[in-house]
Amino acid sequence: MRKSRRLDAKIELPLSEAFRISLEQIRKRFARSMIVVLSVALGIAFMSYLQMTNVILSAYMKQEGVVIEAYQSWLVIVSLFVCGVGLVNSMLIATYERYREIGTMKCLGALDQHILKLYLIEAFLFGLSGGVLGFILGSSIATLSSILQLGLNALWRIPLLETLQLLGLTLVLSVILSVIATAYPALKAAKLNPVEALRYDI
Amino acid sequence: MTSENIIETQDLSRHYQIGGNMVKALDSVDVQIKRGEYSSLVGPSGSGKTTLFNLIGGLDRPTKGKVYIDDVDIAKLDAYELAWLRCHKVGYIFQTFNLIPVLTASENVALPMIFAGKSRKERTEKAANLLKTVGLGERMNHRPVELSAGQQQRVAIARALANDPTIILADEPTGNLDLNTGLEIIEILRKLNTESGVTIIAATHDLKIINVSDSLFWLRDGKIERTERKNNSNREMQTTS
Repeated sequence: MRKSRRLDAKIELPLSEAFRISLEQIRKRFARSMIVVLSVALGIAFMSYLQMTNVILSAYMKQEGVVIEAYQSWLVIVSLFVCGVGLVNSMLIATYERYREIGTMKCLGALDQHILKLYLIEAFLFGLSGGVLGFILGSSIATLSSILQLGLNALWRIPLLETLQLLGLTLVLSVILSVIATAYPALKAAKLNPVEALRYDI
Repeated sequence: MTSENIIETQDLSRHYQIGGNMVKALDSVDVQIKRGEYSSLVGPSGSGKTTLFNLIGGLDRPTKGKVYIDDVDIAKLDAYELAWLRCHKVGYIFQTFNLIPVLTASENVALPMIFAGKSRKERTEKAANLLKTVGLGERMNHRPVELSAGQQQRVAIARALANDPTIILADEPTGNLDLNTGLEIIEILRKLNTESGVTIIAATHDLKIINVSDSLFWLRDGKIERTERKNNSNREMQTTS
């Protein structure tokens, strides 16, 4: 009897609504959100600076008949790691800030997966915007410094395809980084028991 | 299936381990709450009101004993069914209002309807109607920070009504309000109860609420001290089987 009664209505949180709520969250806490985006952007900027310099240099060198290899991958890894740790920290603080809110949502019928969804969408948006910003920052610096070192010639020789590939790779990486870093705080938030969440005072 | 008692507890206990001590926040409580009544859980702070409130609402799990809502043992519900219960069957009102700060009044009221899968059109219309019912028709697009305490509590009442629950649970609904605002809130709740027949259960120590209640459950030290049913001698307490 119980089951059949429960089939007449379901519980859901459509993606569009979740997106809207996440956007509102970001907008409302704009300053903090921007700091998060910036911290992603800085890590990504460092990575794209190194990669872009590689692209420019190897294109340049190829035409001069020299092939060079990059040996900076460990630098990239360390920078991304540092950026990831910072992100975990920011998202944990964001979770504490929202304990009550999460508790309330659960009282209104939200499932664990809905809370998770809200966090992951936020992480996705942070990752994407941080990635775009970081790429623009890093690759512009790389281009500028290449121009300074090699002259304007270097600019015309930047291969478009490889640059676009790099952009794609960067965005995928920054979103993955952001989502992985958010996974722990988000799971923690989603699993909260409503009573404990509501009792929590900041 | 519609028995007279919408909520029934049996030997309900909730113990907490604090330090080395076992604290019995709630100790073997049996209450029957009748459909369509306005009931109050009354007692000094620390008497177990909020614990009972949380257990009845399915927000917390008992250490021992059972809670039946509409004859369904809620301990047997899985996470999904429990969320369903909170979404469709029970509306919660809190002392601290607990509105979502980033959403407007109308969006706050619409939130439970999102979870219930209502269409956008349905949600905005119903939210507008509910806000009008509680006298906030003019403030639909204000965020909680732009509203007074009393107005926030009205939004919370409208939100609790969003999915037409059969039970409204109010934990100290007037606890953060001044005298007149508190009276207004009680007035709204009382009206809801008489007009739409929704069962209201309020945890409180506010005498104004006590005055309008059909049933009173006095709590002390985690036990029911006494039960009062007003103006209805034929509605005496039944023994639970």
